[in-house]
Amino acid sequence: MLFSLAPTTSKSCRAALVNCHKLSLCRPRRELSSAAHEECDVVIVGGGPAGLTLASALGSSQISSQNLRVTLVEGGDLSKVRQWSPPPGSFSNRVSSLTNASQALLKDIGAWSHVDTQRTAPVEEMQVWDGVSDARVTFSASEIGLARPQEGMARITENLNLQRGLLRHLEQLPSVQLVEKTKVESIQRDAEERGGWPLVHLDNGKVLRARLLVGADGFNSPVRSYAQIPSFGWSYDTQGIVATMVHPPRGAFQSPNTTAYQRFLPTGPIAFLPLSPTTSSLVWSTRPHIASALTASEPAVLASMINAAFRLPELSLRYLYDRILEAHAKGTPLTHAEIQQEILWREQSHAIDPNSAYASAVVKTAEDAGIPPADSESVPPLVASLQPGTVASFPLRFNHTETYIGEGHGARTVLVGDAAHTVHPLAGQGLNLGLGDVECLARCIENAVLQGGDVGSYTALMPYAQERYLHNHALMGAMDKLHKLYTTTFEPVVWARSVGVEVLNESDSLKAALMMTAGSQDHKVDRSAFGWNLAAKGFEGLAAGASAAKFLSGGVTGMIATGLQGLFKAASANAAKGN
Amino acid sequence: MRLSNVVRALHRHVHAAASPGSINASEIAHFSRLSSQWWNEQGEFSFLHKMNPVRVQFIREKLLQVSREEKGEEASSSTKILRGLDVLDVGCGGGLLSESLARLGANTTGIDASESNVAIAKLHASTDPKLDHLSYVHAPAETLLASPKRYDVVCSMEVLEHVDNPASFLSTCAELLKPGGHLFLSTISRTPISYFLTILLAEDILRRVSQGTHTYSKFVNPSELVSFFQKYCSPSSTQSESLEASGTSQLSSPWISPHASPNAPTRTEAEVRGLIYNPLRARWILAPRDAWAATDCNYIFWIRKPY
Ligand SMILES: Cc1cc2nc3c(=O)[nH]c(=O)nc-3n(C[C@H](O)[C@H](O)[C@H](O)COP(=O)(O)OP(=O)(O)OC[C@H]3O[C@@H](n4cnc5c(N)ncnc54)[C@H](O)[C@@H]3O)c2cc1C
Repeated sequence: MLFSLAPTTSKSCRAALVNCHKLSLCRPRRELSSAAHEECDVVIVGGGPAGLTLASALGSSQISSQNLRVTLVEGGDLSKVRQWSPPPGSFSNRVSSLTNASQALLKDIGAWSHVDTQRTAPVEEMQVWDGVSDARVTFSASEIGLARPQEGMARITENLNLQRGLLRHLEQLPSVQLVEKTKVESIQRDAEERGGWPLVHLDNGKVLRARLLVGADGFNSPVRSYAQIPSFGWSYDTQGIVATMVHPPRGAFQSPNTTAYQRFLPTGPIAFLPLSPTTSSLVWSTRPHIASALTASEPAVLASMINAAFRLPELSLRYLYDRILEAHAKGTPLTHAEIQQEILWREQSHAIDPNSAYASAVVKTAEDAGIPPADSESVPPLVASLQPGTVASFPLRFNHTETYIGEGHGARTVLVGDAAHTVHPLAGQGLNLGLGDVECLARCIENAVLQGGDVGSYTALMPYAQERYLHNHALMGAMDKLHKLYTTTFEPVVWARSVGVEVLNESDSLKAALMMTAGSQDHKVDRSAFGWNLAAKGFEGLAAGASAAKFLSGGVTGMIATGLQGLFKAASANAAKGN
Repeated sequence: MRLSNVVRALHRHVHAAASPGSINASEIAHFSRLSSQWWNEQGEFSFLHKMNPVRVQFIREKLLQVSREEKGEEASSSTKILRGLDVLDVGCGGGLLSESLARLGANTTGIDASESNVAIAKLHASTDPKLDHLSYVHAPAETLLASPKRYDVVCSMEVLEHVDNPASFLSTCAELLKPGGHLFLSTISRTPISYFLTILLAEDILRRVSQGTHTYSKFVNPSELVSFFQKYCSPSSTQSESLEASGTSQLSSPWISPHASPNAPTRTEAEVRGLIYNPLRARWILAPRDAWAATDCNYIFWIRKPY
């Protein structure tokens, strides 16, 4: 096996040996590997954020990189990502709020220094409110007991910036082989007497024999199909609209653009994520018909609607949607002037002071703005325009596999990231879950190598599933419930029983989901606290049961609003405890 | 209760590596029937699969510690400590431990008296391209005494409680070591707890294991192992063993100084650590040194052959 040649003391000789060792790893080995099979320790399918991070983590771990040959296969052309160089001031529309745990992982593996942090922005404060009752929670980095509050609760980062950084990092990691513009055509099981290892057939004719096959291959995971891991879920009747928003900088009397906003509307949450003093990213989840009418409108109309969606009472928003849908159906979409007129009219009917931050119909210039209104920081800056070409929308779904590790005929497989779970993007959490998976899997692989274990074995992978599955499930459940809390139209009593009660039980996860920052502490801290959190939950459950009883006796009509308010209270109480 | 599974798995895991006169034919047969199960990680032997990383951890950490104490900090990096060592796994079964040691770079020989065990172990290793330094022998361990080859490390896991003549078995393992070599054993204590778990519960009450699989009197307490090595002296250098021991005195000193208490051997001479199963996390852990009652059931033992 490794270093089978005679030991030597000379450094140069040793370097030569290391090279030989690498070469020998690349050659097909022993009689059992027919000429066409290339032996690999870890084959990662998928060069999305999850796959690239895993490859970097394994390549930068001394223990793993000295002992494992890692191959990453990506169907797409990664050179586009590698060469991504957006003009200054313009931003990609796909962003994630990278939690401190995710950043800690990226720093640990050495990839973060390749991410252009000038293009990222810290979230120092977060305002989350209920679009119907206006109950509001504010979290700020300095108040929630973070180890390093100045670094914020999370950092808004373009996915492309992250991926490009990871690719640059990987260039320095020779133990990882990147195979791009190459699709996995099929995966077959090797003969029983050869251990039944997965054989990965590529569209360039090569076949990789994998000790461990990692599915980082996204929602339609071919690895998941090979391993026959069932996945359950549903698609929300919801689309996520994304766009890059341009706005004037915050004034001298205001805090900088480092506050993230999220308003829960009955059609889904709308989120505003700061990227730079004059740019922020939109994630607006809403009904598909509304989404298609909004995205088909001229960008200035969408910009006005974004401003309105953060400000106007829910009733008026419904009215505005109807106007837009009507015009859209007739083929005469509303113009910018028309929608502004509609909004002005709604503001007047609600007696919204034109000087208030809640007014958006009359655009104030910097000169006449003067001292900002007292409520200016309870809503995001007024969006002036959308960066051209950044409006897009995608369907939202909830999916979770039954397990993360293949068994029996699907042995030696493991899933990470979207291949294992897709969540409602309450502000870009999907990526963080995936990075959490990667951190844990890389650690389990390293532990197995250290004890001479077989990294493809169930024994080596079991701790990964143990650590991640329930964690992800709780968080996903919380996000799902937050969504449903406002958007469901099922019989309210049944719903309140099934959702409201459990929601309270999961207040830790909920807090995390509300804050968009599950893991605002870094992962090492999280892990050590894990057992205690679990133990503490049991007791919380009892308390929640008691309040749930009260909850149900409160009558059905007011329950939806009460429910979310209760949540906000629970979450802020939790936050006040300082994690 | 899942603990019964532990017990069952441990009991079914019957190795046959005793001295030729003491091999129990029915144990070998029973075991051979099970051997195809060896590598089903979620089957019969799942508890052994889970225990394996902990055993390797103990072996690695012990070797590292000794090497650091002798050669200083630069001694060796944590993954390379076994690289190039000659290691013998007595009663290797399906090769769980042997494969791990070989992957860590040890020139590993697994030996087992059950032919089908060795066949399974060989077949399994042949599927793995990284096990070049691993070989298996179907024979009782005693046959190796005839060859001059001696080992840096001898391991024998969950074997001692199945042999009819433990003293002779221990001597064999000891003689197969090079001077300064390391012996690692894991077995079960003879205590009320182990009686309850392994015999009363598993055999008599739950009947998960055929009655008579284990004999309480064969269980060995850590203090008995220590006492054995307080009396045991490596034989004088004669015949085939003379290669490495040539020129040494007639009778070397005992492996553990006779003055130490059998319950607390000198740390540099021997060590006993409990192996404890945590059913909540479905994981074995290595108990801290001197943890109370930790060695009352499964434990692992290390001793070093004097130079
Ligand atoms: C349209 C869309 C928009 C999104 N927008 C946002 C957003 O704005 N903000 C946000 O936070 N999250 C967003 N998400 C979610 C986010 O992109 C995912 O959570 C994240 O990308 C998951 O990363 P991943 O590495 O697990 O999977 P992916 O990024 O999906 O990567 C999977 C990779 O596997 C490759 N692959 C698949 N099959 C094969 C094969 N057979 N052979 C070779 N390669 C293969 C694919 O080419 C792909 O590169 C969006 C998702 C979608 C689908």
